[in-house]
Amino acid sequence: MNREMMRKERIDRGIKVRTERIYAISSYREILYLLGPRVLLIVGVMVLPLALEFAPYWKRVVNITCVYSLLALSFDFLANYVGLVCLGGAFFVGVGGYLSAIFNVYLGLPVFLSIPLATIGGAIFCTALLLPCLPLRGVYFAIVTLMYPLLLTRVIEALNIMGGTNGITGLASLPNEYVEQYSIIIMMLVFMFGMRRFVNQDIGLVLRGVKDNDQSVRASGINITYMKGLAVFIASFIGCFGGAYIAHLYMWAGLSLFALDFSIIPIASVVIGGGGTLVGPVIGSFILVPLSEVLRAFGTFRIVIYCAALTGFIVFKSEGLMVYMQRKYHQFERWVKV
Amino acid sequence: MFEARELMVFYENMLALNNVSIQCEKGKIIGVFGSNSAGKSTLMYTLSGIILDIKKKEEMRGGERISLYGRIFFNGKDVTTIKPHERAKMGVILCPERRRIFPESSVMENLKIGAYLSKRRETKENIEYVLNLFPRLKDHLKRQGGFLSGGEQQMLAIGRALMANPQVLLLDEPLLGLSPAYQDIVIEGTSKIRDAKGISIIITEQYARPVIPIIDYGYILENGSSMLSGTKEELMDNPDVKSAYFGV
Repeated sequence: MNREMMRKERIDRGIKVRTERIYAISSYREILYLLGPRVLLIVGVMVLPLALEFAPYWKRVVNITCVYSLLALSFDFLANYVGLVCLGGAFFVGVGGYLSAIFNVYLGLPVFLSIPLATIGGAIFCTALLLPCLPLRGVYFAIVTLMYPLLLTRVIEALNIMGGTNGITGLASLPNEYVEQYSIIIMMLVFMFGMRRFVNQDIGLVLRGVKDNDQSVRASGINITYMKGLAVFIASFIGCFGGAYIAHLYMWAGLSLFALDFSIIPIASVVIGGGGTLVGPVIGSFILVPLSEVLRAFGTFRIVIYCAALTGFIVFKSEGLMVYMQRKYHQFERWVKV
Repeated sequence: MFEARELMVFYENMLALNNVSIQCEKGKIIGVFGSNSAGKSTLMYTLSGIILDIKKKEEMRGGERISLYGRIFFNGKDVTTIKPHERAKMGVILCPERRRIFPESSVMENLKIGAYLSKRRETKENIEYVLNLFPRLKDHLKRQGGFLSGGEQQMLAIGRALMANPQVLLLDEPLLGLSPAYQDIVIEGTSKIRDAKGISIIITEQYARPVIPIIDYGYILENGSSMLSGTKEELMDNPDVKSAYFGV
């Protein structure tokens, strides 16, 4: 009976409560508490290319990982803040990559123009194509985003446009290795922290409202199709940037940019990292993508290990790493008498 | 027959139910009254076992942690840790708040879904019984549940709960959003159910006035604890109850 009447209690740490309001910060310890995790992440990611100086292969992996984490970020944003399940990572990457190739190779624009133009143009293109299925709730959006990459692949293949099955070759590479590495890392950090800001602005609140109850949002006089369109624009903006970058990284834009990997791995990263945290997906892809590279040594058997790890995560820690870590960081537990 | 002893429920650090004990004999109607946030719905979730399900889901999601204390007995058996669907098989059926009927199934289909546990012949009898109890449903058998009016939906929800041959029927706020006329129909139906089938009924409500005439015993919940209990006469005579629930 005695044992039964004890309860484990979760309480916010004192320092968390003190630092919640900005004016209350009064000591280095509190500043450290607030900035610590953020600085750790930023510095960690920034140092990564330097630490891998003598492993050029792994530097490549870091670049690709960053692209995947951008896609995971956009998936997490759409799924957990707007309520749209988007299977269109490949769609965004493909559109961004091909547009960038068109701008760079066919129109002869330099890299620092072709990537931004492809990002914006791709976002407009993707949003325009997805607009018809936005007023509806349900699976329509997911299915359509899954279908578009397949459709575009076949169109390119059948009409033999834009290089056909060979793809567009001869894209300019980024000026040098460091620009190549740090441009994507910095952009990833900018997007990540930017999105965290964004979802807490008024407009982010409206988007979350759309997720919870779209009828109430409509009743408040807000056009939800416009809101969803805006969210899709932002998400595809992020995705297209990743695609444009990848095209320039490989100096080639081909049909493999529409590969299903770009849709699936980000979703797995969100599951592992913890949905709705925006940082979690980034951390998740920094675990998953290198893991799948390491497992390459096992040949086809790597899929088995990979899937087992994923399933294990869902079964035993379905809340996701980031949610778990945040809780441990901000709260402590103790036994109390009921 | 159905008994809850010293129930305590925490949503994280918030105490939702504090030491609530409830007893329900066979064939009695028990009323649980309280304002919003008194813990009525939590009590119903705990009695029906749905809270175990919520708890599991929250754990998976990394959300609020729900802790449960106390015991629930049904026919002398401890059912505290038994899952909601098992409890339903034993005869504890919840008719949830805000009805939760299946909006895209027709009235008939809704009833049939509720009858999943019972045998074919019983199902036929039960459907007939429900339709006699709430004749209004007869006119809409083929209509989708989502297009019924609020009162009809409530009747359908109670009917669906009856289809599973309950021994204890838990009605969570059955009068929510109903006009006085519909309230009368539902209340009348409730007491008919008890009289005809000897089912024990636990009914929660904010408005005591329409419900109190049919109850045998009542509890008043306030901020998660049971402040007062008594027979219908005792409750009606209590000055606090009078002022709070009857506006006298």
